[in-house]
Amino acid sequence: MATPIIDDPSVALGSDAPSDSTANAEVTAALNRRYDAGFVTDIESESLPPGLDEGTVRAISARKNEPEWMTEWRLKAYRHWLTMTPPNWAKLSIVPIDFQAVSYFSQPKNRPKSLADVDPKLLETYEKLGVPLHERARLAGVAVDAVFDSVSVGTTFRKELAAVGVIFGSISDAIREHPELIRKYLGSVVPIGDNYFAALNSAVFSDGSFVFIPKGVRCPMELSTYFRINARDTGQFERTLLIAEEGASVSYLEGCTAPMRDENQLHAAVVELVALDDANIKYSTVQNWYPGDENGVGGIYNFVTKRGDCRGARSKISWTQVETGSAITWKYPSCILRGDDSVGEFNSVALTHHRQQADTGTKMIHIGRNTKSKIVSKGISAGHGQNTYRGLVKVEKGADGARNHTQCDSLLIGKRCGAHTFPYIEVKNPGAIVEHEATTSKISDDQLFYCRARGIGEEDAVSMIVDGFCKQVFRELPMEFAVEAKKLLEVSLEGAVG
Amino acid sequence: MAGALLASLLSEPVPAGREHLAAALLRDGLPGARDEAWKYTNLRALEQRSYAVGDAQAATRAIDLDALLVPIESCARLVFVNGVFRHDLSNVQLVTGLQIGRSVDDGRGESAPTDGDLSGARSAAFSRLNAVLATDGPQVTVLDGATIAQPLLLIFVGVAADADLAWNVLARFDLGAGASLKVIEHHVAASPNAHLGNLVVNHALGAGAHLDLVQLQEAAPAATLIRRTTCRLEDTAVLSMHTVETGAQLMRHDLVVDLVGRGARFESRGVFALQGRQHADTHMVVTHDARDTACDIVWRGVADQRSRGVFHGAITVAPGADGSDAKLSNKNLLLSPNAEIDTQPVLEIYADEVKAAHGATVGQLDERALFYLRSRGMPLDLARRILVGAFCGAVLAEIRPTALRAHIDTLLAARLPQAETGE
Amino acid sequence: MLKIDNLHVRVAGKDILKGLSLHVKAGEMHALMGPNGAGKSTLGNVLAGREGYEITQGTVEYNGRNLLELAPEERAAEGVFLAFQYPVEIPGVNNTYFLRAALNAQRKHRGEPEVDSMQFLKLVRAKLAVLQLKEELLHRAVNEGFSGGEKKRNEIFQMAVLEPKLAILDETDSGLDIDALKMVADGVNAMRDPARAFLVITHYQRLLDYIVPDFVHVIADGRIVESGDRTLALKLEEHGYAWVAERKLVGAA
Repeated sequence: MATPIIDDPSVALGSDAPSDSTANAEVTAALNRRYDAGFVTDIESESLPPGLDEGTVRAISARKNEPEWMTEWRLKAYRHWLTMTPPNWAKLSIVPIDFQAVSYFSQPKNRPKSLADVDPKLLETYEKLGVPLHERARLAGVAVDAVFDSVSVGTTFRKELAAVGVIFGSISDAIREHPELIRKYLGSVVPIGDNYFAALNSAVFSDGSFVFIPKGVRCPMELSTYFRINARDTGQFERTLLIAEEGASVSYLEGCTAPMRDENQLHAAVVELVALDDANIKYSTVQNWYPGDENGVGGIYNFVTKRGDCRGARSKISWTQVETGSAITWKYPSCILRGDDSVGEFNSVALTHHRQQADTGTKMIHIGRNTKSKIVSKGISAGHGQNTYRGLVKVEKGADGARNHTQCDSLLIGKRCGAHTFPYIEVKNPGAIVEHEATTSKISDDQLFYCRARGIGEEDAVSMIVDGFCKQVFRELPMEFAVEAKKLLEVSLEGAVG
Repeated sequence: MAGALLASLLSEPVPAGREHLAAALLRDGLPGARDEAWKYTNLRALEQRSYAVGDAQAATRAIDLDALLVPIESCARLVFVNGVFRHDLSNVQLVTGLQIGRSVDDGRGESAPTDGDLSGARSAAFSRLNAVLATDGPQVTVLDGATIAQPLLLIFVGVAADADLAWNVLARFDLGAGASLKVIEHHVAASPNAHLGNLVVNHALGAGAHLDLVQLQEAAPAATLIRRTTCRLEDTAVLSMHTVETGAQLMRHDLVVDLVGRGARFESRGVFALQGRQHADTHMVVTHDARDTACDIVWRGVADQRSRGVFHGAITVAPGADGSDAKLSNKNLLLSPNAEIDTQPVLEIYADEVKAAHGATVGQLDERALFYLRSRGMPLDLARRILVGAFCGAVLAEIRPTALRAHIDTLLAARLPQAETGE
Repeated sequence: MLKIDNLHVRVAGKDILKGLSLHVKAGEMHALMGPNGAGKSTLGNVLAGREGYEITQGTVEYNGRNLLELAPEERAAEGVFLAFQYPVEIPGVNNTYFLRAALNAQRKHRGEPEVDSMQFLKLVRAKLAVLQLKEELLHRAVNEGFSGGEKKRNEIFQMAVLEPKLAILDETDSGLDIDALKMVADGVNAMRDPARAFLVITHYQRLLDYIVPDFVHVIADGRIVESGDRTLALKLEEHGYAWVAERKLVGAA
């Protein structure tokens, strides 16, 4: 069905046709976006009262039965956080966050011991999200760790994974069961004082996933974590740590949803990846936090620090993200290319509609020799959405033969949105080659007309064109996610043509 | 907190009506590492230096102008020596449609000039400094509909003095509707000096006006040169601009272009070629405020030895500026392991009927091309110079007159790698 | 003029040439034929001095000197010319300027006076006429935007201007239509001279209908497996390279 004319969205720009045509006006009127994941689960939970001090940090640590060293680690982070100031918001307009009004811990009251004990309502929640945790999950062939508000409520396939030496489960369990790995790697990629939200996360993180792939093991199945914020006024601070030892490889998927709430909720996660020699990590995210309504009321503040350390020679870390949710997204999944011949990739689709704001991109830090990085960023802006790509490509002195290619394309749908590109390129090695290209275009009336003249409805034409625009990134997603991502974009863009 | 620099510059009483600006400047100080617009240019060393303000002997210093100038027949030649206008060296025999006066009234005026960025942002400290200290500069007016065939030369000569000097000059160019002018702004050294020059130039182009602007900067290798060029273009006005940066130890050029009139067009071609410990920072901010405006920006940079080249090229398309067409390309060659290139092309788009694209590269000479030339018998250093020359030359092809182009070619040839650069 | 003896060359850890020997005298026209991957282009690149080729064994003597220790530009000045299989585009460098810089650098190396732009233009126009090339070619940047055929003809044009002693034509016939092929052949034939030698590397016999070789060599798996007169090329045409491979097996057995 795809024709060459829509493969390249820049082809038919600058058309003279009035953009507020009747057809577009009709579609604008249909600006009623569905948010399928917006239900609230009626389940009893216990939460810490709002507020943050050393007592809160100790309380979180105590509830999780953490060893003393972990409590100290958190306190150190908390004390450091007190000395920091919130980041300067660059292109984001944001209501200041009252950190004392947030509850830093919430968990379902009857905490399950195993999947068999999980509250049926919770299971139902994940069922609704399309994430089956019970026996049927086996058919899906994907190991899942589900995080509900602040805690992990269940992990599937643990035994099967353990048989090949893969550790996959909640980070809380890992702190107790594998202290040597946690002490070695936690905070080694994102130090506790790295930035304001990373420091906060280090102090109060409640749960998250832990993955360890031992030397030489190819993880036999996709690993997946589903994050769900449910309780009101709750911050979610999860922490993910993923280690791939020499020659190991893993593909990890992360999905995020939250109910519709008319206040902003805070999500400040930290993800650390470590790849040793010849290890290969593929980390995919489909982020569908509640984006707020069309007037910008409610929605998640998504402030995430994601960083991968290609510590070993020939290691590879590949980030793929599809960001359609959140009121504000602020994240830069990055790669430190330390090992010689290591490879970093960043593939991103970020969509902003209504009043959403996204400021996302990546940092590729070339340190080792012959390190390579590739960045593909596709930004889609609709409604009043503001979409910013912000990226750093840095080639250090010793990075002989470093190569980077960045392609950064923006698609504008409507007159009130914005698309912005802020690349930083810093090169200190004369053997490096760094290339950056960016384009901005709109879905042209000519393209739409062409599709419609062949009998394709306007909405379908838009999603076809947008899909074509995103193809390069979707190709990087595992199959099930690619289908989900495409659907999410369609839903998110409903009525966006205008 | 202000360092020695501002203290030395503002120690004497400033012209009347400018005290509040001076006080604010002393309070706020120079931009630092936290000012995004100065991210890649550290002023700490400059901050610790002190300069004498103005050159009392400038009027009598012997200058062999013929040795410095590009032999171009001009309609007017305005020569500033260490920031002081030299009537004896200038030539202001006017042609019809061209008026030349002073931009500042000897500093005796009641109020400070309002040119440049006086928003109070610390990043604009040098604009404020200029507003406090500039006591001279040309005001050039081209009357409506007048076409001035020969170029106007604006020449800044630096010459050694007993002490390192700081000079501030404010220049204004007003082109009336349909007017046409070519300006060559030339910075040159009569003898080695380490002066600090701070120049603010405002170009206002009326509807349909055409300004052809060449900026040729070959200041003394130890000099510091801060420039701010602001351009405002009304309907269908065209600014075509060439910038060549080879001089100065520390060079910062803020180039601000506002396309406020429908159909206005800005073309910029520029090149910097750096060596030694030179630091050159070009900070370009182009705003499309009206419909059907266009910009076409092509810059090349070469950094050799221990130099650092910085290029920031920001294009904003404001809401409603539909039909805008924005293009920016910035390619750089990094020739030495101790040099650095930082480039930041930026797009901010708030309208949807827009064509906008930018590209930036940092790399080195194409090995295949080098080999090809060598296989035809050229020694390595010649092959390198030819390729670097071609790389720079790509943006200079349209410079006229020929004598100027030839001068620039020679200038660049001298800046290109002479031999092995320490690989 | 050229004596290649037992040449072994390794590229990226892989042995490509495995004991190739070839002697070329002044005035001779040699054709080197062989299937893809046999090492034909490697030989051309090694003779011209491209980096990335590790010579593990053997010698290459050119007019009594060790060719392998010369820089690429020295080889050119000494009269070695490689017509590239894939001529590179050099945006911004004018073709005429490029050629004159090349010629003068070579002349300077040989202690000859440089030619000025008038003399050079005269020379270049004469050569253009011989090759039936348009003068417009001179004003364009080197190979930039040239068609495949134009690039190849530009290579021959350069050869005509630079007048090398040893010309190596690396698959100059590939991608040419019959008219262009004849033009290239005419250019080469016009330059045949008792003092000049040619090594024509080609996959197909077709070119040799127009450029008649004195010797034909067949290269397979990194060495010359068969040498003969021009009739060898015709046999190849008839039997294909498989025939060579069989003979090689027989020889090894």
